[in-house]
Amino acid sequence: MTWGLHTKDTSGMGRVLIVDDEEVVRKVLRATLTEAGYEVVEAEHGGKGIEKIGSDDNPLMVDVIICDIRMPKINGIEAISFFRQQYPSVPILVLTGFPDTKMATELMSKGVFDYLVKPMDEEKLLAAVKAAMAHRLALSDQN
Amino acid sequence: MPVEALPGTIRVLIIGGGKGGKALLELFACGQGVQVVGMADINPQAPGLALAQNLGIPTSHDALFLISQGGADLIVDVSGDQLVAPLIAKHKPASAEILGGTSALLVWKLAQHERDLRDQLIQAEKLASIGTLASGIAHEINNPLYGITGLSQRLEKETRPEIVKEYLHDIIEMSRRIATIVKDLNVYAHKNSAQALCDIDVNHIIEEAIKMARRACVLDEVKIQTEFSTLPRLQGNPDELLQVFVNLVTNAVQAMEGQGTLTVSTSSVNGSVRATVKDDGPGIPQHLLGKIFDPFFTTKEQGKGTGLGLHIVRDIVIRSGGRITVDSVPGKGAAFTLELPITSR
Repeated sequence: MTWGLHTKDTSGMGRVLIVDDEEVVRKVLRATLTEAGYEVVEAEHGGKGIEKIGSDDNPLMVDVIICDIRMPKINGIEAISFFRQQYPSVPILVLTGFPDTKMATELMSKGVFDYLVKPMDEEKLLAAVKAAMAHRLALSDQN
Repeated sequence: MPVEALPGTIRVLIIGGGKGGKALLELFACGQGVQVVGMADINPQAPGLALAQNLGIPTSHDALFLISQGGADLIVDVSGDQLVAPLIAKHKPASAEILGGTSALLVWKLAQHERDLRDQLIQAEKLASIGTLASGIAHEINNPLYGITGLSQRLEKETRPEIVKEYLHDIIEMSRRIATIVKDLNVYAHKNSAQALCDIDVNHIIEEAIKMARRACVLDEVKIQTEFSTLPRLQGNPDELLQVFVNLVTNAVQAMEGQGTLTVSTSSVNGSVRATVKDDGPGIPQHLLGKIFDPFFTTKEQGKGTGLGLHIVRDIVIRSGGRITVDSVPGKGAAFTLELPITSR
């Protein structure tokens, strides 16, 4: 696999893929993460997210994925399962409007790094991304 | 032709189609063990007569004619006319008993009380059903709410006028979205207006119900399609009818467990509006088909349903003079068909 770790290749804080069908949600995340020094890539549904990082010819390397659940076409559950299978070392943060403990437990058991419920403060979001990024680095150091 | 008695049922003939007769007819038609075999009233505009006709029960302006047809175990006289009682007594078959005077008034009072209780039950079920939609509603509100809080936090530090303007525009837009959701919910949750008969566009009611019931599904994998015909407007209670369709569509969406196609179709058939809610979920096992309209019968896990939804659907439909039937092939989904009379109940 040509998959590599973006964090080590650049001087930035790392690259985050945002998968969410709400334009305003992406706008908030983009502004917050860009200001904090992250590079941001966006997709408006699971299919686009897979498309953006899934091409073997030109793989887009990301360090953390922030993924919504309820989206048209390919939903979050399907996209997450793809990401976990193809890129197991990339931590996934679920960011959803569903305050659903059962779903959170299920997703965490499938390897999701954290389950975040909208709305949330940007400090909390940044802390979650930072923790996921650290996890990503720790995993890559092992390899 | 005398009506053959079903085993264990009391065949009742109601004399008087005013408020009392109609209340009794509603009670008997929704319950079990009583079969109304006819209703008579000298006034052709009596509200009970219209309901009886919609339910397929023989009616007449001539009480003695219906009595002469035989087939009643009990004749209930709620005509309020003192001259009627001796005539009934004179012409009734020997086997038929009479319930009249104060006794009939007492039964009417009980029927009215029962109706009040049913109205309360309908409201309670509606509020409980909103509980089952809670996580969908939370999702719909939390997304724009995140837009509002997130952009507001950005605005604290933002100095570029064009960006400030853009964020404020988004915030107003998101606030309006939340206001619409709250308004929809409020419209649904408010108490059903009693006896409010309006001209109803059933297609519009179904669209409103679909909007509400979409929240029962976490994922967007359920396709909801409508096949609407142009319909005559029907007279009925729009709040109750909305509750009927919210229940049916929510049930179907839940039955499909997040995947499948739900089709709601309407047509106009012989003075009735027919509406079918069809899903391609797992269907209803044959041995449960006879139970699904029973109160408190549910196959859903705890917290997902009260077991009152379909019972109340049937209750509302019958009280409107309509009919509801269900067809299901296990593995191939279920279809609920309603026939609602256009004329006032």
